[in-house]
Amino acid sequence: MTIRTDQTAPGRAIGLDVSSVSKMFGSFAALKDVDLKVPAASFHAMLGENGAGKTTLVRCITGYYHPDHGKIAVDGHAVTIASPRDAHRFGIGMVHQSFTLVPSLTGAENLVIARTDRPLVFHWDSELKRMNEFLERMPFRAPLDVPVWTLSAGEKQKLQILRQLYLNQRFLILDEPTSVLTPDEAEELLGRLRDMTRAGELTICLITHKLREVRAFADEVTVLRRGEVVGVGRTTDLTNADIARLMVGDTPPPSRWTSRKPAQPAGHPAFEIRGLAADRDDGMAAFRDIQLAIQPGEIVGIAGVSGNGQSALLEALCGQRAAVSGEVWAHGERVPPTRAAFAKHRMFSLPEEPLKNAAVGRMTVAENLALRTFDRAPLAKGGWLSSAAMRRQANDLIGRYRIKTPSPSAPIDTLSGGNIQRTVLARELSGDVGILIIANPCAGLDFTSTDAIHAEIMDQRNRGGGAPRFRGPRRDPGACGSRGRHVRGAHYLRRINCGHRSRDNRTLYGRRKDGRGCYLISRSDERGALFVLANGAFASGSAAHHFVSDRSRADIAGPAAISGRS
Amino acid sequence: MVAPSKVGSWSLSVSTWLHYRAETSIIPALALLASAAYFSVFLICLGKSPGEFFFLIARGGFGTLFSWQNTLVRAEPLILTALCVAIPARMGLVVIGGEGALVIAGFSAGAIAIPLDQSVAPMFITLAMGLTAVVVGACWIGLVGWMRHARGVNETISSLLLTYIAIAIVNFFIEGVLRNPADPNRPSTKAINPDAMVGAIPGLHVHWGLAAGVILAVLLYLLMDRTTFGFAARIAGGNPRVAEAQGLSVGQLIVTGCFIGGACAGLAGFFEVAAVHGRANAALHANYGFTGILVSFLARHSPLAIIPVACLFGGIGAAGGLIQRRMELPDATVLLLQGVVFVTLLASETLYGRLPFFRATQDSHT
Amino acid sequence: MSDLWSALTLVLIALLGGIVRVSTPFLFVSLGECLTEKTGRINLGLEGTLVLGAMTGYAASYLTGSPWLGIGAAALTGMAFGAFHAILCQLPRVNDIAVGIALIQLGTGAAFFFGKPFIQPTAPHMPSIALGWWSSNPDLQNALLINPLFPMGIALAIFLRWAFRNTYWGLIVRTTGDSEPAARDLGVSVNGVRLAATSIGGLLAGIGGAFLSLSYPGSWNEGLSSGQGLMAVALVIFARWDPVHCFYAAVLFGTAGAIGPALQSVGVTQGYYFFNAAPYILTLLLMVASGRSKRAARDMPRELAITR
Repeated sequence: MTIRTDQTAPGRAIGLDVSSVSKMFGSFAALKDVDLKVPAASFHAMLGENGAGKTTLVRCITGYYHPDHGKIAVDGHAVTIASPRDAHRFGIGMVHQSFTLVPSLTGAENLVIARTDRPLVFHWDSELKRMNEFLERMPFRAPLDVPVWTLSAGEKQKLQILRQLYLNQRFLILDEPTSVLTPDEAEELLGRLRDMTRAGELTICLITHKLREVRAFADEVTVLRRGEVVGVGRTTDLTNADIARLMVGDTPPPSRWTSRKPAQPAGHPAFEIRGLAADRDDGMAAFRDIQLAIQPGEIVGIAGVSGNGQSALLEALCGQRAAVSGEVWAHGERVPPTRAAFAKHRMFSLPEEPLKNAAVGRMTVAENLALRTFDRAPLAKGGWLSSAAMRRQANDLIGRYRIKTPSPSAPIDTLSGGNIQRTVLARELSGDVGILIIANPCAGLDFTSTDAIHAEIMDQRNRGGGAPRFRGPRRDPGACGSRGRHVRGAHYLRRINCGHRSRDNRTLYGRRKDGRGCYLISRSDERGALFVLANGAFASGSAAHHFVSDRSRADIAGPAAISGRS
Repeated sequence: MVAPSKVGSWSLSVSTWLHYRAETSIIPALALLASAAYFSVFLICLGKSPGEFFFLIARGGFGTLFSWQNTLVRAEPLILTALCVAIPARMGLVVIGGEGALVIAGFSAGAIAIPLDQSVAPMFITLAMGLTAVVVGACWIGLVGWMRHARGVNETISSLLLTYIAIAIVNFFIEGVLRNPADPNRPSTKAINPDAMVGAIPGLHVHWGLAAGVILAVLLYLLMDRTTFGFAARIAGGNPRVAEAQGLSVGQLIVTGCFIGGACAGLAGFFEVAAVHGRANAALHANYGFTGILVSFLARHSPLAIIPVACLFGGIGAAGGLIQRRMELPDATVLLLQGVVFVTLLASETLYGRLPFFRATQDSHT
Repeated sequence: MSDLWSALTLVLIALLGGIVRVSTPFLFVSLGECLTEKTGRINLGLEGTLVLGAMTGYAASYLTGSPWLGIGAAALTGMAFGAFHAILCQLPRVNDIAVGIALIQLGTGAAFFFGKPFIQPTAPHMPSIALGWWSSNPDLQNALLINPLFPMGIALAIFLRWAFRNTYWGLIVRTTGDSEPAARDLGVSVNGVRLAATSIGGLLAGIGGAFLSLSYPGSWNEGLSSGQGLMAVALVIFARWDPVHCFYAAVLFGTAGAIGPALQSVGVTQGYYFFNAAPYILTLLLMVASGRSKRAARDMPRELAITR
C-alpha cells in the first residue's frame, strides 16, 4: 500500500470491501455479519435508523474500534486498521457531523495541522501556495484566512471536506454532511462530490436520512437495521417505500397516543414569544425576532439542526440565557424567568441532555424529584424542608414512573441515562402542567419508552396545556406536532404554508416555487402553518410556497407516510 | 427497586444512605492516613522519627487539659474561617479570602472601639465591635461574590487579591494614622477597654468565641441542609444551569452565600481582637484563613464536620511549638504538613465511585 | 522649580530601573502561564512555584557559588512542580483550581521549611548588563543595570508568539486548548501536551522566582513574594493569551509596582502601603473590566473553564 503524502498530484479513487464484520459490546451485538461493498469511484449511501449500527460500522472502518470478526479490504488489498492513523494512511477519511475543526485556528492552519508529515516549522509562503494550487483543482472553496469560528456552518462543512481531500483521502465517509446546510448548498456540495466520483477521483460513502439525496446522488444503497444488513441495491431498483420499509421494518411501530383537534381558542394564547432575541456565548447573534403564539391545547414543533439557534431559544425560554430583547408571555401576562412566574403559569421544561441541564448530579433522586416543589407545601413549611414529605413524594413518583433506582437516596448520577430522563419526566410531567417546553426528550431511550413519553406529552396537550416542542436532527420516528417550526441557518423565522395533502391524509407537503419539492410529514389531521428559520428577515404568512428542509421530517416518518415525488 | 413493605423499604433506604455517606467519610480519612504516611517517609529521610512527631502532636494537642485548651483556642478561628470557605463552596464557588476578611474585620472592630472607648458602656463597645466586624467581613467577601456574578471574575483569584489588599490597608492604618503611640516598637491600634473584651467560658480557659463558632456551625448546617434556602443554594452549587431553569436566581444565592461566609470570617477577626489580643495588630495575620481552607476541604464543606477537623488542625498547630523545640524542626513544618495533606486530599477525590467496595454494591442494585 | 524638576527626573529614572526589575518576574510567570492556559489548563499553583523557585535558586547559588546554577536549579524545581500539577489534574474528578490552591500551600511550605538556613547568608547575585555606560549620571547608570533575564524574557515572548503561529507544536498547543475532540482526532495525547506545557510553565515560573531572590530584591526571606504568581495568572487573561501582550501587561504591572519604591527614593514615604497595594488593585480592576468582555470570550481557549 502506498502511503499518500503528496497533496498536489490528483488522487485516484479507492474502493472498500467490508466482509462479515461483527462487533459485540459485552452481550450487545452492535454489528452482525455485515458486508459493505463500495466499488472505487462510486457514490454509496448507507441508511438506517438510530442505533442501526451505522456509527459502529464506520468506527470500525476508520480505526476507532476493532471488529471482532470479519475482514476489510481497501483497493483490493486486505488490511488491518488498528487505529485512526492507519485509516488515514490507507486513504480513508471521515467527515463527522459535529465539527472537528479547531475554532480559533484559521482554515489554513486547520488544513496544515492535519498533515501526516509533521514538519517542525511551517513556511507559510510555500504552504499557502500549495493550498491555493490545491484549491484551484477543487470544485468548491472555503475561506482559509479567517478563524473557523467566524465561518458559517456550510463553510465549515466544506472546509472539513476540503481537509480530507487535501490529505489525499480518496475514500470519504460523510456522516450527515448536509444537516447543517441550506438545500442549495447541499445540492451543490453533493453534486460536486458526485462529479468527482464520476471523474474517478473519489469514492463516497454517505450516511444520511434524506431519501431525496439518496435518490438524487447515490448509485447504490446499503440499509442497516439492528446491526444487520437488511438490503442492498441500486437506487434505481428501489423505491422510497422499499427503503423506508427496510429501515424501519414491516410493521409500523405501535403508537398509543391519540391525537385530537384542539378546541379553537377564545382569549389569550397560552404561550407567546414576542420578538425574542438572544446572543450566543461568544457574542454572535443566536436568533432574532422570534414571534410565536400557541393556543391552548396545541402542540407546536420547532425543528432544526444543531447550531441553528434552537438550543439558544430553549435556553432563553427557560431562563438560562438572557434575552437581548423581546418577551415571553403566557395567558395574557408577561412571564419573567423567575420561579414565581413559572409556578404561576405552570410552566415546565424538559431540556435535552438531562444530566447536564435538568438534574443535579450530586443530589439524590428524591432531591432531584423535588426541584420544582421544594419550596412549597407539603415539602416546605415556613422555610424548613420536610424530608419525610420529600421521601413520600419521591416514593410515589418512583413507583408511578418506574424509575429504576436502588433507593431514593441514591445520587442521581449513579443511575442510567434512561432513568435520569425518567426522573426528570416524573418531576416535570406529574404536576399540573400548563405549558410544557420540550427538547429532544427521547434521546437515548428505547422505543417503548419513547412511545410512552410521547403519550404522556399528548396527554398533557389533551388536558388543555400548550406545548412548544423542539426537535433536533436525530429524531425518532413517530412523533410530530400539529404545527412545525423550523429553526435553522441563523436567526429568523420564516413562515410557510402547507397547502397540500397526500391522498391518505397523512402527509402534508410543502413545495418550492420552482417545483423542486420536499416533504413535510405530519400525523395530525390538522393543517398547520410551518415556520422556517432562515437567513432572512421575518416574512409573514403570505408566502405560499417557501422552502422547508425535508431533513426534519423524513426521519420521523413511518413507512406509510413517505411516498414518492422527488 | 423499592421493596414492598414499609419497614423493609425504610431500612433499605437507610442502609443505602449510610452507604453513600460512608464513602464521603472513608475517603478523606484514607487521604489523611496516606498523607501521614508520606510525611513519615519524609521525616525518615531527614533522620527524624515519625513516631515521635505524631506522639508530640497527640500530646501537645490533645494530651492534657492545658493542651486541649490551647487546641480549642486555635480551633475557634479555624471553624469560622473554614465556614467562610464552606458556605460559598456549597454554592459552587471556591473562595479563599477568609484571611483577608478576618484581618480587615478584626481591624475595623479594633478601630471602632477607639472613639467609643470613653463614651459608651463596655458591653455596648463589644456589641459594636462585633457588629462592625461581621458587617465588614460580610461585605468584603460579598464583593467577591458580586464580582463573580456581575462580571464573571474568578472568585479564587479575586478573593486572594482582596486578602493582600486587606493586609495592605490594615498595615497602612496600624502603622500610620491609628497607631498606638504607647508602644512604638510594635505597631498596633490602641488597646480596647479590658471590660469590653470577651471573656472565657466558665470552667474552660477558652473564650466564648469557641461557643459562637460551634453554634454558628450548627446553625449553618441547619440552614444549608434543612431549609429551602439551603436547598436552593445547593442546586445552584451543583448545577447552575438547572438552577436557572428552575427559576432560581443564581446571582442572588451566590452573593448571599458570600455574605454569610464573610460574616463568619469577620466574626473570627472580631474574636481575635476582642478576646485574644485586645487590639488590632500584625498578629491578626496568623494564617488562620489559609489553614481554614484546608479544614473546609477536608470536611468536604460540611459545617458539622468542620468542627472536629478544626479541632484536629488546632491541635496540630498547638503542638507546633513543642515539635519545634523537641525535634529541632523549623516552624514551617506544620505548613508543609498541611500542604501534603491538602494535595493528598485532592488527589483522593479521584477515588469516588472507583473503589471496588463501593462500586460493587452499587452495581448489585442496578 | 528646579528642585521639583530634579526630583521628578530622579523619580523617572528610578521608575525606569524599577519597571525593568519589577516586571521581570511577572514576565516569566505570565509567559509560563500563557503557555499552560493555551493548552486549556489553569495553574494557580504558580505562586507556590515562584516561592519554591526563589528559595531553590538562592540555595543553589549559595551552595555552588554560581548564580547561573541557581537559575538552573530553580528551573528544574519549577518544572517538577508544574509536572506535579499536571499529573494531579489529569486524574478524573480532580478540580484544577483546588489543586492550584493546594500547591500554593505545599510550595510555600516546602520553601519555608527548606529555606530556613538560607535566610541569613548572602548568595552571589546574578550579574547585570550595564546599559548605562554612556551616561555620567550615576542614578541613571544604576537604573540601567539590566538583568539579562529581562531581554531573554522579551525574546521568549516574541518566540512564543511566532511559535504559536508557525510551528507544528505551537498549533497543537492551540488545538488542545481550543478543542479536545479535534486534538484527539489528530492523534495527539491531550494529557501529554498539557503535561509538557504545564511543566514548561512551571520552569519559567521557577526562573521568575529565582530572579526575585538572585537579583531584585536579591535575598531570600519568607516575605519575598506576595501574590506575583497570582497576578500573573490574572495578567494572562488580560493579555488575551498573547505572549507579546503578556509582555506589555508585565511592564504595566511593573510600573504599578515600581512607583512606590521610586517615590521612596526621593523621600516620599507616605502612602507606602497604598503603593504596595497598587498592583493588586490594578489586577482586580483589570479583571472586573475584562470579565464580561465578548472579545475575551472569543480569544479564550475554549477548553479553559475559568469561571466555569
